[in-house]
Amino acid sequence: MRIMASNLQTTSPDPAIFSVKTRNFGSIEVRSDQIIYLDPGLLGFTRYHRYVLIEHHREAPFLWLQCLDKGDLAFVVVDPRNLLPDYHPGPLTQAMQDLEVEHPEDLKILVILTIPPGNPQEMTANLMGPVVINLRTRQGKQLIVEDANYSHKHRVLPG
Amino acid sequence: MLILTRKSGEGLFIGDDIRITILEIRGKQIRLGIEAPHSVVVLREEIYRRIQEENLQAAGARDIDVSEIAQLWRQE
Repeated sequence: MRIMASNLQTTSPDPAIFSVKTRNFGSIEVRSDQIIYLDPGLLGFTRYHRYVLIEHHREAPFLWLQCLDKGDLAFVVVDPRNLLPDYHPGPLTQAMQDLEVEHPEDLKILVILTIPPGNPQEMTANLMGPVVINLRTRQGKQLIVEDANYSHKHRVLPG
Repeated sequence: MLILTRKSGEGLFIGDDIRITILEIRGKQIRLGIEAPHSVVVLREEIYRRIQEENLQAAGARDIDVSEIAQLWRQE
C-alpha cells in the first residue's frame, strides 16, 4: 500500500503527519502534502472534502480514493483511459480552467467504480461523474458529464 | 418549502450570488435562467440523483472487492 504524493516539486522538509483510522487499511499516516481537497465534495458526500489516493496493487490500475474526514468512506477509482483510451468528456476543458491546471500532466482524471458485493465481474464505472484533480494544487472536484456516450454504469469487464 | 409566484421575465435571488430568472412559460414547460458561481453545482434533479445514487452505491467497496477485481483485470 502506498499513498500517492502530489506533483508538487517543493515539498516542505517536515510536512505535518497525522493519523486517520480507516475501514479498509486500519490506521494510516498521512502527510499534509498528500491530501487532496474535493470542493464541492462528491454528490451525496458534499460535506467531506479531504481525501488521499492509495495505490492498491502495482499490477492493476485500481486506486483507492480514501476520505480523511470520514474514515469508513472510500471509493475504488481508475483512470478511465484504462477503459476507454479516448475518454474526453466536454466539460473537461472548463474544469481545467476552474482548477487552474497549467500543464496537462498535472491533471488526474479518475472514474469511480461500483462493485456489486460478491459479483465483481459485474463492476461498472461511472463515466458520467469523473473526479478531476489538479495534482499540483491538489484541488479537485466531481464533474458531471451529460453525454449519451458516457454512462453512469459503464461495464468494465465482458459479461 | 418556500413557495413564490413569479411571472415570465421575473426572477429571484438565492443569497448574494445565485440568480434565477423565469425566461419563458410555454404550456407545461418553463425555461429558467440560472446565474451562479462556478463552485455551485447546478443540475437537473434526475441527473443529480443518478450521480448521487451511484456514489452512494460505490461507497460500499471493500478491500476484498479490489483484490478480486485486480485478479479479474489481470486475467483479461
